[in-house]
Amino acid sequence: MGLHAYLALAAVVFAIGLFGVITRRNMVGILLGIELMLNAVNINLVAFSRFNGEVTGMVLTVFAICITVAEVALGLAIVILLFRTRRTAMADHVDWLKG
Amino acid sequence: MGELVLHPSYPLVLESTLGVLLLAVLVVGLFRRGATDHVAGWLTLAGLVGLSLAAWQAEPGRVALEGSFVVDELSLFGKRLFLISATLSVLATLGLSHPSFRKRGTEYYVVFLASLLGMLVLASARDLILLFVAFELMSIPLYFLTGFLKGEDAAPEGAMKFFLIGSISSAVILYGLSFVYGAVGTTDMAAIPAAVAVADPLVLLGLALMAGGLGFKIAAVPFHMWVPDTYEAANSPFVAWLSIAPKTAGFLAIFRLYVEGVGTGALFWVPLFGTLAAVSIVAGNLMAIPQTNIKRLLAYSGVAHIGYLLLGLTAMSVSGAAMVMFYLVAYLFGNMGAFFVVQAVAGSEGSDDISTYRGLARRSPGLALCLLLFLLSLGGIPFVAGFWAKLFIFWAVVEQGMYFLAFLGAVLTVVALYYYLVVARHMYIDEPESPHPIKVPGVLMVAIGACMAGIIVMGVYPEPWVQAFMRVAMTLFSTT
Repeated sequence: MGLHAYLALAAVVFAIGLFGVITRRNMVGILLGIELMLNAVNINLVAFSRFNGEVTGMVLTVFAICITVAEVALGLAIVILLFRTRRTAMADHVDWLKG
Repeated sequence: MGELVLHPSYPLVLESTLGVLLLAVLVVGLFRRGATDHVAGWLTLAGLVGLSLAAWQAEPGRVALEGSFVVDELSLFGKRLFLISATLSVLATLGLSHPSFRKRGTEYYVVFLASLLGMLVLASARDLILLFVAFELMSIPLYFLTGFLKGEDAAPEGAMKFFLIGSISSAVILYGLSFVYGAVGTTDMAAIPAAVAVADPLVLLGLALMAGGLGFKIAAVPFHMWVPDTYEAANSPFVAWLSIAPKTAGFLAIFRLYVEGVGTGALFWVPLFGTLAAVSIVAGNLMAIPQTNIKRLLAYSGVAHIGYLLLGLTAMSVSGAAMVMFYLVAYLFGNMGAFFVVQAVAGSEGSDDISTYRGLARRSPGLALCLLLFLLSLGGIPFVAGFWAKLFIFWAVVEQGMYFLAFLGAVLTVVALYYYLVVARHMYIDEPESPHPIKVPGVLMVAIGACMAGIIVMGVYPEPWVQAFMRVAMTLFSTT
């Protein structure tokens, strides 16, 4: 398989993630969509790294995975905080601010 | 090596000292658990004042980490701006009487310093990995700080919206970054200009995606939806800082990626940034008009200011880049000052509604005059900093023959003056609802005074600033 197959796979995963972020009403679902988008990036990076014969991309992938974990952990904390005050995890019900 | 890290000649000395300060605040806070005073805040403030002075002394021209970390003119400009805005913000935070800051103050200051550390590293990053890590180190604490007052109804919601938009934009930036890496074959940013020069489609795709992600971070229209809600939900001293420091970080990243060393290849991005600038100026100013909450008004006017900054960038010339820096500093003093006055009024009246400002001139003439001057600076009236900032930006744009953009910007300035003067009318013409003067905490008064001095000095005597920024901008266009 060539580089393009991997890039296409990554693009599809990224698009699915973006679709989930836009259509999901549950905030945990939106977080999952963001995770998919970030994992598409990792596929991209590893594929480029492999086909360029260069290891920096893998290093960047490891960094990206760590940072994603930190980001999602904070995101879940915010969801829990919101759930405690509002008793809901649905994005539609979060409407105190005007948007 | 260990003892050398804090030596003044070490390139990372500011960052490592800030790291030590962060740990010191954390340890002091841990040992004083349950204490309800502001020791952690004062320690942070003392450290930041020291670091600001050190940043002023720092000399450009050093490189560390095999070229991925540079201390050049541009990075020093960024570091000074970040440190000064952080100092002002912490100064104002000390004037907040909210119980959360007494009970959990350590958390706030430690996370604040972590975000600042990310900004300082970002200013010097010349490597895509370092750029990305620094960007996230800056952004993730910001989500936390937005939701810091977790007991308040709006704070978690503002934090959630900021977090969702912020992490989606991070994912888009990283996706673009992966294409740039794939096409260039290295994470060294010095290799990008060559790839842009031959119009490598993967690099252009990657940089375009990154521009979209950075558009979210600097809150240009159409990526601005999070701004008003986040500003309304978070506490004012933090919002004052949020309105300038991360935006500056975004512009530094744009300078590094799209301008530095690219030469005439940078002209490729003129249509993209020009469109973003025009849309931001028009939409930001028009959406600010119907606002009744002053923080939301400043949020939308902030979107318009981002448009003016992008306008300066669109010129893609030495004077354009220099004037972006001038505008950033003028905006720092004007906008932070305005938010500090908002904080003083909200602290006494408990509301951010514009109607609260009725008759402010009769209740607290000094405070009203300060807010008036800050708003006039933001609006661009002569003899305060904002006037020169706008004029220089238009000048740089006209120099490049983009008459339409300059005309559009000038027309919308009048709209901006309208909504700023609506606030002024409330302060100076309407009758006050209560005769009592507004109590302003001493530290907050110092912060407002510093911003005031900033806009007046820059307004009366802009020349040395212009020359300094021209020198910085020169280095952007001269390399390679």
